Amino acid sequence: MRVHKRGVKALTAVAAMALGVSGLAACGGGGSSSNDKTVEIWMSVDQPVFDGLKKDMTAKAKDAGITLKMSKVTDINSLIMTKIQANDAPDIALIPQPGVVANIVKRNKAIALDDVVGDKVKSNMLPGALEAGTIDGKLYGLLSSANVKSLVFYNKKAWDKAGYKAPTSIAELDALTQKIKDDGHVPWCMGIESDTATGWPATDWFEELVMKYGGADKYNEWVTHKIPFDDPLVKQAGEEFEKLVLTDGNHIGDGKTIASTGFGDAENSMWKSDPGCWLFKQGSFITAFFPEDVVKNFATDVGVFGFPSANAGEKAPVLGGGDLAVLLNDSDAAKTGMKLLAESDTGNSAAANGSSYLSPHKDFDSSLYTNPVIKVSDQVVKNGSELLFDGSDQMPGEVGAGSFWKQVTSWITGQQDLDATLKNIEDSWPTS
Amino acid sequence: MFLKTSNAVITVVAGVGVAVAVYWILNKIAELLPGHWEDRIKPYLYILPAYAAITLYLIYPSILTFKYSFQDSTSTEWVGFDNFTKLLSSHEFQQTLINTLLWMIIVPIFTVAIGLAVAVLSDRLGPRGENVSKTLIFMPMAISMVGAATVWRFLYAYRPEGQEQIGLQNALVVLLGGKPVPWLQQDQFHLNSLLLMVMLLWAQIGFAMVLLSAAIKGVPVDTLEAARIDGAGERQIFFRVVVPQIKGTIITVFVTTLITVMKIFDIVYVMTNGNFNTNILGVEFYNQLFTNFNNGAAAAIVVMLMVAMIPIMIYQVRNFKAEEAA
Repeated sequence: MRVHKRGVKALTAVAAMALGVSGLAACGGGGSSSNDKTVEIWMSVDQPVFDGLKKDMTAKAKDAGITLKMSKVTDINSLIMTKIQANDAPDIALIPQPGVVANIVKRNKAIALDDVVGDKVKSNMLPGALEAGTIDGKLYGLLSSANVKSLVFYNKKAWDKAGYKAPTSIAELDALTQKIKDDGHVPWCMGIESDTATGWPATDWFEELVMKYGGADKYNEWVTHKIPFDDPLVKQAGEEFEKLVLTDGNHIGDGKTIASTGFGDAENSMWKSDPGCWLFKQGSFITAFFPEDVVKNFATDVGVFGFPSANAGEKAPVLGGGDLAVLLNDSDAAKTGMKLLAESDTGNSAAANGSSYLSPHKDFDSSLYTNPVIKVSDQVVKNGSELLFDGSDQMPGEVGAGSFWKQVTSWITGQQDLDATLKNIEDSWPTS
Repeated sequence: MFLKTSNAVITVVAGVGVAVAVYWILNKIAELLPGHWEDRIKPYLYILPAYAAITLYLIYPSILTFKYSFQDSTSTEWVGFDNFTKLLSSHEFQQTLINTLLWMIIVPIFTVAIGLAVAVLSDRLGPRGENVSKTLIFMPMAISMVGAATVWRFLYAYRPEGQEQIGLQNALVVLLGGKPVPWLQQDQFHLNSLLLMVMLLWAQIGFAMVLLSAAIKGVPVDTLEAARIDGAGERQIFFRVVVPQIKGTIITVFVTTLITVMKIFDIVYVMTNGNFNTNILGVEFYNQLFTNFNNGAAAAIVVMLMVAMIPIMIYQVRNFKAEEAA
């Protein structure tokens, strides 16, 4: 009996080991079978943008004689770092966070694009669009699909009835907020809850006001930590944000309400005939979160204006973001793929299908846009001095996707004051 | 698709074939040895691949992690104890440690206590009632924690006053005339952390109940009868007769739950991502590695966890050995 039992045990062990070893073999066999002519491109853009880009890229790739493998992936920021460390990265990746691009460059895995795309493409980019992807004077991330965050949405019908006018300066925005409040309404819709990224909509407010008050140069110095995070300019921005939005009665509920309201749900009550809140600052992509019937009657129901400059009539920077194309393989085919991606008319289909695609190229044909918010965004960018990339996305991950979000959330929920918040973020800036 | 399937089939067949061949060859080598040496060497040859696998998948990564914890964020330069001092001196990391400690104390104790209570009480029901109640309590174990979070969000969900409440708890509060409460932001007395712990308890108690129930059923009836004849009350019987006899199982449940808690990540990540003072080591590790790309700090956290876990593991292994000997 005992012998038999041992036999069974040994057999089980062999089977288990066999499975283990076969698992190993399966891992070894998982390598990609790409040949020299195949270009693999990963991105995490919205589905309609992806469909549009894929259509144009596929047609171009055929003419250029390369095989295209375009995939839409989720959580690209952490995925790409893992893949790079495993030497299993795609040829080109569209990355929404310049901070991640900087990390790839830091590990010497990205290829400079200056010679690949050429000066013609570079000089054709919207003012400011190259800065976010430029590291140590070399271009590593080429903006491929942009978005604009300097937008304020409102309920057009209710707004027209009340007779409000879009402000042209921050002082006028203050006055408008006060007027809405005096009329017995709640001026601002505000929600910063976003699952694991809770806090980011509030960081957009800081960025917006810092660039409007300080201009592009000061903004870039702040983002790259040439001036401390708790510079008086940032404090000024924080105080203005507090005055406009965080004051009691200027938003629904209290600070904790803001922190537990989803950034896409915040404007839900704005579309009622008696709006629960009247102004909503968000990016051009937010329309995907609007109720269906609002989207259907977009032209009559939704109003949108660009966030005003500090002083009326001044050309101010515009806050935006987008996906930066990074070249991770220096094969000729990959470079060809990059060149195709950098051509202005690669976005034609994406613009025509009504997606949230906004071209970063100066000579892009604006009449192709079919999405009404993108039309306004295009105007806002062209009326501004330059398009500046979202600051928190450019900062090191510890700050831009960590302490900035978390500390601002703590501030809004009343756990600490503005000074402590800015100082904590300053302290969290990595030393190297 | 066909290519993928056939590839998978081929690798599995080839893998199993190679493994069988390896063992066959090892066996042949052992057989070549003279007489009693064959018996002496053979077990070691058989266990060799297992040891190799453990070395490759467990020991080597552990050593590497240990090394990374003394290096910078890209693991290129040595920085001494910098990662540890930086973490331990930050107020937020201290809070993270306190939260983790709370999880480690509260969850295992309540898992064992409630699991034991359920096991004892359901034992008193008829066979049908016992089965139904046990199945119900065991069911959450089948749900992944991320899935459970989706369910629990609807319990804790919060909408501003005046809007329709979609969360069960707030709906009740409003029904009783109160103001809605943003539950997951109530960090006084770590209430929000406690609310998250309830989720793990909900998922873990079924596991504790099954093991403890089996142990209770294994208690010899004659010992209970003897106690009754001697005039012991139900409470005395439970604490003096039943509990000492299932002590081993209680410890096993306690320690396994403790280890689960030390590794816990998904509940907190999905529900709050460590915001509102609910951060714990697992989430902090993830954020250091995948948000901050800071290999050094992430490795330092793992090393701290490993160091904390070693005594528990040693205790667990000893306990197992004592059980086997008994």
